[in-house]
Amino acid sequence: MAGNWFSAPAPVARRVMGFFAPVNRAAQTPVLFDPVQQGSFSMEAPPAPWVSLGWIQEFTRRSASKTTAVMTGIPASTLEQVRESLAAQVSFQFLSWTKLTMALATGSQHMNLLASASGLTPAADGPQATSAVTPQSGSTANSILLAAADAAKFSPGSLVAVDADYAGQTGFVGSPVAGAFLRQPVTDLDYIRRITFNVGLVVQVNPSGISLAEPLLGGAPAAGAKVQAVTGFVDREGGCFYQEWSALFVMEGSQGERIFFHYPRLQTMAGAEEAAVSLAGKQKTGHARIQLKGQFMALPVTDPMDGERVVCYRSFLPAANALI
Amino acid sequence: MQNAKDSFYMALRTRLTTINPERTVLVRGAARPGILVEEAEAPLSQIPSDVFVLRWQGLGVDVDLDSTLVAEECEILYQTFGTQSFGGLDRGRLLSAMDEELIALLQPFYTPKLNYATTPPAAMLTQVFWDEPGFTPTLTQRDRLSRSAKVLVYSYQEQGE
Repeated sequence: MAGNWFSAPAPVARRVMGFFAPVNRAAQTPVLFDPVQQGSFSMEAPPAPWVSLGWIQEFTRRSASKTTAVMTGIPASTLEQVRESLAAQVSFQFLSWTKLTMALATGSQHMNLLASASGLTPAADGPQATSAVTPQSGSTANSILLAAADAAKFSPGSLVAVDADYAGQTGFVGSPVAGAFLRQPVTDLDYIRRITFNVGLVVQVNPSGISLAEPLLGGAPAAGAKVQAVTGFVDREGGCFYQEWSALFVMEGSQGERIFFHYPRLQTMAGAEEAAVSLAGKQKTGHARIQLKGQFMALPVTDPMDGERVVCYRSFLPAANALI
Repeated sequence: MQNAKDSFYMALRTRLTTINPERTVLVRGAARPGILVEEAEAPLSQIPSDVFVLRWQGLGVDVDLDSTLVAEECEILYQTFGTQSFGGLDRGRLLSAMDEELIALLQPFYTPKLNYATTPPAAMLTQVFWDEPGFTPTLTQRDRLSRSAKVLVYSYQEQGE
């Protein structure tokens, strides 16, 4: 005889999906995930401003918090426990190389290689770039309107960066995603476009402008933004900047249940590193997939509910009809 | 267990009608989607061509959980001679098409469990789920190309099952 509930064993999940959202570095304001209102979101269409970074592998998380005992009496015995330190670490491997996954998997700032004219003095992060062009009003996150002569400078399949000219600012640079920290002004007019996350793939060019495959992370080009061709990406071992993002990891169980690991503030804690995973299982020769390795340290936030400082929230939405 | 087997078959059959509605088979005078369960048909001396045939094989049970977990191994067999209009020279292409169809049929890797012993089928409480398929090498016998894929299909036993 059929019942109206079942005893749910431990969740069975095939894989983990990662979502990230930019932290406002200047204000130290993370993006919070609300499992009540957002818990049933489609994995293919996460709620804004979360960005899907796809399936990840080797996801491990561990608490690095330390607890110590307060001893009393003779002989001493534990009176109570206190939390001596609060810390947590997360590590995993990305299955794709994108602007965002590369940035997250490097311990420092991540830059765009801006296209340049040939014959210039070589530079490790790209020589002086070709001039940027100005979008026209009415541009959107997917479609950038340009003068016909400017549009002709781009071709389908090329990459572009869209952001403002550098104007001498210091501190965290880039909006809405801080891409660098400048201790002193630089002289490069294109600096913000070098570190911006507003990067897109051109899929169509016509006399009125260019269309992008996906919307720009920062939305429609802001006033003063310019467009520049990008040939690739570069990051460095060293520097004073640490990537910091709000992170959400989701495990979807076989019965529709969901486990969420939400780290409001996650900073990279290791330099760029890759793992070569053989495509033919245990075979040591032959093709290998180069997976980006990410190691992160969780930073605390204050939970406004009770003022407690925490580094991670683990939420569980049980399967329908599951006994709890 | 039968409910899980039925649900797995019906999920694949429903998905096939969307992925390739032209893949059909004539069974006892009726045109049906081109996917059969071997044990639910008259004994076959040879599996039909250009049709997926499900053969249920191994069985494993984990009774130490709150709900008993059953794992059943399903072998999905298929073969093709190509088409007459191309003299069978397109048999490799047709086998590749069936490979791709099967990969698509198996995604997503879960489906609701239904009791097909009742009319209409009654929705149950859990989902049937399965792993990625493991494909065998292509077997060539004269002008026939065949292959099979094995899938482990899991389900939780519910009250009354």
